[in-house]
Amino acid sequence: MLQASNVHFCIRQRPIVDEVSLELNPGEILAVLGPNGAGKSTFFKLLSGEIKCKHGSVGYNGHEINKLKARDLAAVRAVMPQHTQVNFPFTVQEVVELGLISTRVKQPAKLIEEVLEATNTSHLKDQIFNNLSGGEKQRVQLARVLVQIWETKPFPRYLLLDEPTSSLDIAQQHAVLKILQTLKARNIGILVILHELNLAAQYADKIALLKNGLIAKSGTVEEVLEEKILEYVFDHPIQLIQNPVTGGVLISAAAQANTSQPSFKQA
Amino acid sequence: MNFALSHTKIQRQNLTLFGFGLVLVLVVIASLSLGAFSIPFPQTLAILFDQIGITTGTFEVQQANVLLQIRMPRVLMAMLVGGGLGIAGAALQGMFRNPLVEPGLIGVSTGSALFAVIFMVLVPTISSLAWIKTLGLPLFAFVGGLICVTAVYQLSKSQGRTDAATLILAGVAINALAAALIGLVLFFADDSALRSFTFWSLGDLGGATWAKIPVSLTLIGVPSILLLFNSRQLNALALGEQEAFHMGVNVQQVKVRLLVSSALIVGVGVSMVGMIGFVGLVVPHLIRILFGADHRLVLPGSFLLGAILMNFADLIARVIVIPAEMPIGVITALIGAPFFIWLIFNLNKTKN
Repeated sequence: MLQASNVHFCIRQRPIVDEVSLELNPGEILAVLGPNGAGKSTFFKLLSGEIKCKHGSVGYNGHEINKLKARDLAAVRAVMPQHTQVNFPFTVQEVVELGLISTRVKQPAKLIEEVLEATNTSHLKDQIFNNLSGGEKQRVQLARVLVQIWETKPFPRYLLLDEPTSSLDIAQQHAVLKILQTLKARNIGILVILHELNLAAQYADKIALLKNGLIAKSGTVEEVLEEKILEYVFDHPIQLIQNPVTGGVLISAAAQANTSQPSFKQA
Repeated sequence: MNFALSHTKIQRQNLTLFGFGLVLVLVVIASLSLGAFSIPFPQTLAILFDQIGITTGTFEVQQANVLLQIRMPRVLMAMLVGGGLGIAGAALQGMFRNPLVEPGLIGVSTGSALFAVIFMVLVPTISSLAWIKTLGLPLFAFVGGLICVTAVYQLSKSQGRTDAATLILAGVAINALAAALIGLVLFFADDSALRSFTFWSLGDLGGATWAKIPVSLTLIGVPSILLLFNSRQLNALALGEQEAFHMGVNVQQVKVRLLVSSALIVGVGVSMVGMIGFVGLVVPHLIRILFGADHRLVLPGSFLLGAILMNFADLIARVIVIPAEMPIGVITALIGAPFFIWLIFNLNKTKN
C-alpha cells in the first residue's frame, strides 16, 4: 500500500499541501482531480519522493520513503512527470531503455518491444526523440516509465502519472487509460492526475478531489461524483448526465448562464 | 552494464572506438616522426619496436634520444590532456544538460589557473622540496577548478535544472573574478613567476618531461576511468535530475563524482600545460553529431578524439614555423572558434 498520512508542505508559511492523508492500494486506479493551483503537482512530488514534506509521512509497502534509497524506491514505483525535456539527440529506443537503468530484468529486449507495442511507439524507435510531436513524445515518455515496472514482481508496486494525456488526442487518451487498466492485474496501484473529468469517471476506481491544498472529497467514483461537490471544487456549474448509449455518467461543464463575472479566478 | 543494448549497437560502438584508436596511433606516429628534427617513418617505427625488443631496422642514437626523451613525453602529455579535456567536457555538458558548457566557460580552467598562479607565487620558497611542486601544483589547481565549477553550478541551478542564460552569466562572472584575481596576484609577483605565467594563458606542451608523466597519468587517467563508469547515469541525467531520481539514480552522489572527476582532470591538465580552450567544447559535439548522444560512446569517444585533436594541433604548432613553435592554444582556438560559430549558427537555424 502507498500511504500518505498528514502530509504537509508550505512555501513561505503558505500551505500548498495541507495535512493530506490518502491511501493507494495495488490493483486500483486513483484519479486526483482539482482546479489549477490546488496543490496536485506538489502532492504528487511529495508522493514520488522528489520533495520532502515538512511533517507527515509517505510510506511504500510499509517502508518510510525517507529511509528508501533512490534505487530501492525505483523498484517499487515509477513516475511520469508532466514535461520531460531531452537536451541531446537521443533516439526513442535509447530513451525507453533508460527506464531499465536500475533494475535487472531477464529479457530486456523483449520487454522493451512489448512496451513499445503497447504504447504504439514501435515505429518511432529509431527516430530522434526531440524531432517527435508533442503527443508522440508523451507516449515515448510513458513507454520509458512503463518499462521500469513492466516485468511482474511478487511485491506490490505503484505508478504515479502527472497528466499523462495532456497532449494526446481522444483515441490516444483512451488508449493510455486502457494500458493503465491492464496494469491493475500486475498488482500495481496507479495514481493519475487528470484534467478530464470524464476520463476519470470512466476508468478510475477511486477519485480524490483536491482544492486549496486540502482533500475536498475522496472515495469511490460514485461517492465523489456529485454535482454539488464538483461545483464547489471547480467553481463552475456542472451537470451529471446519463450517457444514453453506455448508461455511464457524463460530466458536463456548461457555460455559466447570466453572469457577467469574469471566470478567471486567482489561483 | 550493457545488458539493454542490442548486439549490433554494441558492435557499432566498439567499431567506432576502434577506428578512433587507430587514427590516434597514426597521429601519434606522425607526431613522433615530424618536427624540427625530422625522423623518417621507418626509423620511427624501428625505434618504437626496439623498445619492446623487436629489431626491425637501424637508427641513430640521436634519433632515438629525440624521439624517446623529447617527443614521447610530449605526445603522451598531449594524449592525456587532450583526452582529459574531451571526456571532462562531455561529462560536464551531460551533467549541466547543456551543449554549450565547456571547462573554459564554466570557470574550471580559470579557477585552476588562478590557484596555480597563487601556488607559483606563494610557494617558491619551499619549492626546494621537489615533490611539493610536482604534486602540489596540480592538486592546488584542482581545488581552484572545483571551487569555481561548484559556484557556477549552484548559481545556475533552479529546481534541478540549469538555466542556460544564468549558466553563461554565472560563468562569465566567475571567470571575470578569477581573471581579476590572477591579475592581482601577478601584480605582486616577481619576474620569474611572471614568465612562467605567460605559458598559462595559451598553453604549451614544450615543458612536458618524463618526470611529469606519472602524476598526470594517475591524476587524469583514474578520474577519466571513473567517468566512464558513470555513462549510464549521465544518460539518465539527460532527461532531467528529477527523472533520473525517479529511475533510481542517486543524483547527488553522481553529480559530486562528475564534478570532482572533471575538475581534477582539467585542473591537472591546466597545471601541466596551461589553459587550452575549445577542445572540451568541440570534441563531445563532434561525437554527438556523428554518432548520437549515448554517453557510453560519447565519453570514451571524446577521450580518444580529444587526444587525436590535441596531438594533431601540437604537430601543426611544431611544424608550421620551424624551428620556432606556435603556442598550441592558438591552434586549438583557430580550429575551435570557427566551429563554435558554426554551432551557434546551426542552433539558430534549428530553432527557427
